[in-house]
Amino acid sequence: MRKSALRIALAAAALGASAAFAATITVLVQQTAVRKRPQFFAPAVATAKLGDSFEADGPDGGWYKTRAGYIHQSAVSAKKVHLSAGSAVGGSATADEVTLAGKGFNSQVESSYKQGTPANFAAVDAMEKRSVPESAVLAFMRAGGLLGKEGSK
Amino acid sequence: MKTLKPAVAAAALLLCGCSSLQNLDVSSMTGGRVSNEQFQSAVKVGAAVRHSAEDISESEEYYIGRAVAAQIMSRYEPLNDPGLNLYAQKIAQAVAMASDRPSVYRGYHVQVLNSGEVNAFAAPGGFLFVTTGLLKLVRSEDELACVLAHEVAHVAKKHGLKTIKTSRLTAAFAVLGTEAAKNYSSSQVSQLTDAFKGTVDDVVNSLVVNGYSRDKEYEADKFGARYARDANYDPAAMKSFLDRMAQADKAGAGGGMFKTHPAPSKRISELGDLQPSPDFRRSAARERRFKAATVY
Repeated sequence: MRKSALRIALAAAALGASAAFAATITVLVQQTAVRKRPQFFAPAVATAKLGDSFEADGPDGGWYKTRAGYIHQSAVSAKKVHLSAGSAVGGSATADEVTLAGKGFNSQVESSYKQGTPANFAAVDAMEKRSVPESAVLAFMRAGGLLGKEGSK
Repeated sequence: MKTLKPAVAAAALLLCGCSSLQNLDVSSMTGGRVSNEQFQSAVKVGAAVRHSAEDISESEEYYIGRAVAAQIMSRYEPLNDPGLNLYAQKIAQAVAMASDRPSVYRGYHVQVLNSGEVNAFAAPGGFLFVTTGLLKLVRSEDELACVLAHEVAHVAKKHGLKTIKTSRLTAAFAVLGTEAAKNYSSSQVSQLTDAFKGTVDDVVNSLVVNGYSRDKEYEADKFGARYARDANYDPAAMKSFLDRMAQADKAGAGGGMFKTHPAPSKRISELGDLQPSPDFRRSAARERRFKAATVY
């Protein structure tokens, strides 16, 4: 059975070795645009979600190039991704790793914190609901003479 | 079937470039007998524990920012003006898209505060605030875009997180860094909450009481003007707003930004290039909607 385990491990290694891109990046924010061109207001061709990973080249000028399109470097990490162990609060990560959501300061810590403070979290919840879809922001910019019809600068 | 040793699993991942760790189904490799805890122990050998503000994750920054924002809105009343809040929100998202950090964990959010104090804040994680007192000094959408871009720059450059005392992070990371991930005890949750409270207090004190260092304010001005320019607003509007701040300062306006920021005249002298982008153009529609949104 040890041979079987070793075969699986080598298969995983071979899978990784076949990648043509220089790095693997992982999305660290809830969602981010995958753009047609490496430009701020270029059309989005897809939306990448938290935890999605991509083989990529870069970053070049702040953008990673993937097979799907371009992703801004601020939304991803090329570091190792710290795995969840299923605990609500726990999780350790080293300086050479990054954590995905749910680790460290999280909703459970916030709940504990709320008990001893008069802070106005209801107003924060209302504030977060105000988020505007990117399409509406671009329409707002066009209406104000800030973008051309092509939608990118 | 024997259990695959953690070291073998780690070696396999190292061989494949440590890629896509979260997508690699460890259980399929091991028959489910190598726990994630074991795996983490294997991959973290020899690496240093997190220790600085730079090591705070996106989601942790978000929760710090939420608490800082909640504290700010317990001191300042949120303005109930959906039209103005939405207008400011769209401008902030536009300049944020052109920033060094267009994506934060759950996006940028803006709230106008009902206060005559001339002030604006940026909490970590993208929570931005501007007071009605400040808005009364703003004369155009381009000026408001520069103000909000200055706040976006504070978030993009993580100025808030950098005000957190190292001792807070050391305490938190010490709890988080205990061997492998597991369910923390109530005392550990308590320790984390204490560290969280201290962290939030550090940021709130910097935003509301002490202000950032001068260098951080000049950096936010410089990058804010750049973000506004790249969103095709007039970056020179940063200067025209600061000119009006300087006039208000001379007229005796006190508190708020006048207390926590360098003198407006000094900030103007530190501003860099304010040339607009080639695509910049003035717009009557922009003027109209600014006047419509800021009537109060």
